[in-house]
Order: sequence, then structure tokens, then C-alpha cells
Amino acid sequence: MKTLSKNIAALLAIILLLSGYNCFAQGAAKGDVSITLNYFLVNNQVPYLVVRAKTKVDGRFQPVSGISVKLFLDKDSAGTFIGKVVTNNKGEAAAFIPASAKAEWGTTVKHTFLAAFNGNKQYEAAKGDLAVTRAKILMTASSDKKVTAVVFELKDTSWVPVKGVDLKFAVKRMDADLPINETATFTTDSTGTASADFKRDSIPGDAKGNITLVAKVEDNDTYGNLVVEKTIPWGAKFVPVSNFNERSLYGTGDKAPIWLLSIVYSIVVVVWGILIILVASIFKIKKLGKAV
Amino acid sequence: MKNSVQIANNEIISDLLPQKFGKAGKIWTGFLVVVCLVGVYAYYRQLRYGLIVTSMRDYVSWGIYISNFVFFVAISLVGSLITAVFRLAGVHWSTPLTRIAEMIAVAAIIFASLIIIVDMGSPERFYNLFIHGRIQSPIIWDVIVITTYFFISILLLYFPLLPDIKILLAFKEKSGARLNKFYSFIGSFWKGSPEQFKISERAINILCITIIPVAFTIHTVTSWLFATTYRPGWDSTNFGAYFISGAFLVGAGGVVVAMYVFRKAYHLEKYINESHFEKMGRIVVLMALLYLYFNVNEYLVPAFKMKTSEEAHLNALFNGDFAILFWFAILVGMILPIIILLFKKGRKPLPVFIVGVMVVVGAWFKRYLIVTPTLLHPFLPMHDVPESYRHYFPSWEEWAITLGSLAGVMLVITILARIFPIIPIQETITEQHENVE
Repeated sequence: MKTLSKNIAALLAIILLLSGYNCFAQGAAKGDVSITLNYFLVNNQVPYLVVRAKTKVDGRFQPVSGISVKLFLDKDSAGTFIGKVVTNNKGEAAAFIPASAKAEWGTTVKHTFLAAFNGNKQYEAAKGDLAVTRAKILMTASSDKKVTAVVFELKDTSWVPVKGVDLKFAVKRMDADLPINETATFTTDSTGTASADFKRDSIPGDAKGNITLVAKVEDNDTYGNLVVEKTIPWGAKFVPVSNFNERSLYGTGDKAPIWLLSIVYSIVVVVWGILIILVASIFKIKKLGKAV
Repeated sequence: MKNSVQIANNEIISDLLPQKFGKAGKIWTGFLVVVCLVGVYAYYRQLRYGLIVTSMRDYVSWGIYISNFVFFVAISLVGSLITAVFRLAGVHWSTPLTRIAEMIAVAAIIFASLIIIVDMGSPERFYNLFIHGRIQSPIIWDVIVITTYFFISILLLYFPLLPDIKILLAFKEKSGARLNKFYSFIGSFWKGSPEQFKISERAINILCITIIPVAFTIHTVTSWLFATTYRPGWDSTNFGAYFISGAFLVGAGGVVVAMYVFRKAYHLEKYINESHFEKMGRIVVLMALLYLYFNVNEYLVPAFKMKTSEEAHLNALFNGDFAILFWFAILVGMILPIIILLFKKGRKPLPVFIVGVMVVVGAWFKRYLIVTPTLLHPFLPMHDVPESYRHYFPSWEEWAITLGSLAGVMLVITILARIFPIIPIQETITEQHENVE
């Protein structure tokens, strides 16, 4: 009994010590997170939002990964909830505007998106918002290789052309978009139209010469990011040449290069031919020996 | 031989006929057999339990087996040096050394082939080389040239033996019944007629011409096993010449050791005299200088650049885990032999023999240094691997098999020396007559 009491006392002392250690520890100051929102509309289909979270570390912005952000349309309420996203290692997360928000989406031409981070052990709570006017681009391509795009915005219930919007024309490539000519940016006129001549005639397309033209409005304060794409056979036909499974030094045994086979077999035939002749000469010597 | 004492034919025959093992010979042979048997037992264990009994793991997949293989291939080149090059160059003083060189070549190439099969783990994998082999791979080239070289070496040993077989059969009482039966089987048809001599001489000349490019190929291809892979220490365009120069050095060293031992054991002082050691000493020093030159190229140039990817490998050699072995191989295998042999006194039989041993031992470790340190320093760092993968020290099975194969080479040479004359009898008699005339 006495031993048991001693053990319990020792255990309590340890617990007390550990809890004391915890009590004396000063809570680390939480960091501030900056939340930004971007709006994207690609090919006039369902828009989506991209959330970016960052924090300042040693005077530099660093992405904040793994935090949960709630997105709302216009009001911070259950009916306008877009979704909850978690930032990736680049501090980014994306969400399409769901069908459940369609009713709210149709009520007005201008919307405000809200992003809310409720805070965690590391970071304080933070909010971000973005106001966007609904807009779209329509693109056409004529036979004389001229590309035309018209930017419209929604006013009441009708789409009207917008003047003075900067947009870019480009060809979609694997890593980035390539401008279709030397002019980087075009501005829409009073009819909401901007045109550019296509000057990338020799650019490789797919096997049929198809390339993807892109007209885009980037980071516009009013309209966000609008992108429209069009596939057109203006590129050079490109049939990828693969030498896989052809005769090569790295091929399988039955795919050895002819030159290598020729060299190896020639040497083997010559050397072993000589050796066979020499072996035959042993029999010749033997024959001579028997004749003596 | 011009200045040497002319020896009567019967005396030559009596001196050079194969002799039965004395007490020392029996002990020596018994010792080699025991070492071989221990190696066979270790190989049994490897077959029974797999390559796990070795210390080779994912990184060091080529250990002392492959080092040993390269060593055997290297030393086998001596057949082409002493026999072919000297014969074609009209060098007559090397006649007493030719058979020793051919015996070493045959024995070494046999065990080079065997040790490769040992390295494969299960011997049936050798069969896969033929059914799945790629002609694009230097490994297949190596199989082809080793087979070819083995065959040429056998022929080069056999053709000059034919006249001696006749002599051996003429002195039946000196050999046992079994040996006489064997001699009859391989050469009773040799009558020594001019036609036979003509065919034999022509065959030997053709062999001498053929063996030189094949010998160069065998060791160049062996060097390409390494140089065609992109690894620190192996990524070199110099490897073919580097390997061949090293092969000639160790081959010459091996002959020097063998000629000293045979001279002592069989009392051949009249045939292998001091001038042979003097001349072989000069050859060894030339080869050592040549090999040292290639070593300077192989190590000094990369060390001057000290590329980050090769730094660990070079530092391990120069002042790291392998430094003792590395400097031993350079000093004992090259620099000291050069210094000793540059002096006339250093080219006396005993010093030349000691230098020969130094060269051969240094050469064995040199092959180990070419093979293993590179594998321990891959370009991509080792991550999350067991500790045993980071180091390599051969297991007792590897040592036993390797020493067994070395003993095997010496056993084959010993048996060949028991069966056949170590010094060509007929050629010695012919040269005596030519000198007298």
C-alpha cells in the first residue's frame, strides 16, 4: 500500500511538472493571412473562383497551404454558399460556382464574392472579397486569317458591347500562350470589337494542323478573367515521329542496328573462320602423320 | 642464347621433360586443392542460399568477383604479349618464356569465364545470356571475345606443343602410362616431317597475328563494361588504353613471378638465366611507366576539375575509405617497381621476382578500386536505404570463392607444368643448333 502511494505521488508529480511546463510556455503569436480572389470564365461556361492565401515571412510573401476557406456569393449566408476549399502547397484553391447558387447568380449583373478563413492555431482569421460584373467574349476567325473578338457585359437582361477593354489574342501552347502577332494587347472599340492578324503560319499544330486560338481578358478590375478558345486549322501539320521500337543501341535484342550486326558478325565470321581453318590444319597434320 | 653455354640435345631433353611432384610440389598442390575446395564449399552455400551470402547489395552489385574477373582477363593478355608480339617481332630470347605465358593465359581465361558465372548467382542465368542477350550490350561482346580468346589461347598452347609431344612419347619411361596415353591421344600423329612443320609454323604465325587484335579487343571490351555506363570514375574515353596498359603490366609481372618460381623449383637456371630477368625487368618497368601515365590521366584530370558529382568518389580514393588501398596500388603496384627496376641491381632474379609479386598484388587491388568505389558513389544520392547498402566489405564466402579461383588458376598452371614441358624442348634444341651454326 505504501509503495502504491509512493507511485501515485510520483505520477502526480510528473503530471504536475508537465502541466506546469505547458503553463509556463508562452503562446506563439499568430500570423496574418492575406486572402485574394480571382474570377475566371472560360469559353462562357460555368465560372470558377481561385483563392490565394499568403502570409509575410521575413518581409516576403509565402503561400499558406492547408487552410480551409469558405466561399460565398454576395452574402455570407447558407443560401449563397459556394463551397469550402483547402489551399494546396502553392497556397491556392479553386471552386466552380455550383448549381445551388444559380438563383442568386441570376438576380443581378454584378456580384461580390466573399472568402472567409476562420483562423487556426497558426493564423488569425481573414476575409477577402471580389466584385465582378458579368461579361463574356465572342471570337470569330475569318478566312483571311483575321481574328476578331467582341467583349460584352450584361446590362439588365441584355448583352451590350463594351468599349476600352484590354484583351489578348494568342495561340494556346503546352506551357504558355503565344501571341498571334507582335502586338501584345488590343483594346476594344466602341462596338466592343478588337481584331488582330494571325502571323504564326508555320506554328506546329496537331496531325491535321489544328491549333487553339485564345482571346482573353486578364485580371480586369470589372470583369475578372475571361477566356474564349477556338480550334482552327491554321497550323502546320505535325505528325510526331517516334523512333521507339526501331533498331537502336537501346532497343531490344531483335532491334539491334544493322551496322552493329554487320560489324559484329563480320568480325566473328572472319576470326572464327580463321580458327576453323586452323583446326582443319590439325587434321591435315594428323593425315600427314598417318601417311608417314 | 648465343653467349650462353651450348647444351647437348639429350641434356636439354632430360632437363626439360616434365617432372613428377616432389615433396614441396605435393604440398603446394595439396594446399591449392584445399583452397579450391573451400571455395567450392562457399559456392555451394551461395547456390544454396543465394547471393544474399555475399555483401553485394543494390548499390555494390559488382564486388570482388568482378574485380577478380577483370584481373584474370588482364593477366591472360600476357599470352599475346610474350608469345605473339615477341614472336612476330623476331625476339628469340623469350622462347623459354612462351609456354609459361601461354599456360598463364589459358588458366586465367578459364577462371575469368567461371567467375562471371559465379557472379551471376544461379549458374543457369548464363543460359539467359544466349536466349535474351542483346548484341548491343558490351556484356555479350565480352562473352564472344572471351570464348574466342580462350580458343585461340588453347590453339596457341597446342600447336607449339606438338613437336614436344613426340619427344615426350619417345621418353615413355619418364611419364606414367596414363600420361603416355594422353600424349598419344593429343599428338601421336606428329612425326616431325617438313610438311607438318610447315603447316604448324604457318598456323602458329596466323594465331600470333590473330591473337593480338583479339587480345586488345577482349580487354577493351572489358573496359567498356564500365566506360559505357555513366558513373563517376568510369565515365572515361581513356578506359580501353588504360585497361590494356594495365593488363600488359600485370601479365608481365605474372610471367616474372612464374619464371622465377619454375626456375627455382625445376632448376632451370641454364634456360631461364639472369639475362631473361634483366630483359623482363625492362619490359615491366616500361609497362609500369605506361600504366602510371594512364593513371595520371585517369585521376589527375578529374581531380583538377573536381566536379561536384565526382568529388565524393575521388575523395574516397585520395583520402577517404579507399585511400590506403589506392595509394598501396599506386605505390606498390607502379611507383616502387619503376624505382627498383630502373637500377641494374634491381633487375637481378630475386628483386625482379619481388617486383613481380608487388605488381600482381597491386594490380589485383587496382581492379577492386576500379570496380567498387564507383558503385558506392552514385550520381543520385542514396536515400532511405539500409546501412549495409552504403558500405561494402566482402563476406567470407566471397573471399573463399575469390581465393579459390586464384588458387584454381595456380592449380591449372601447376598441372599443366606437370603434364607438359614448361620450356619448349624442340624450339630450344632448334635454337641451339641455329646458334651453333
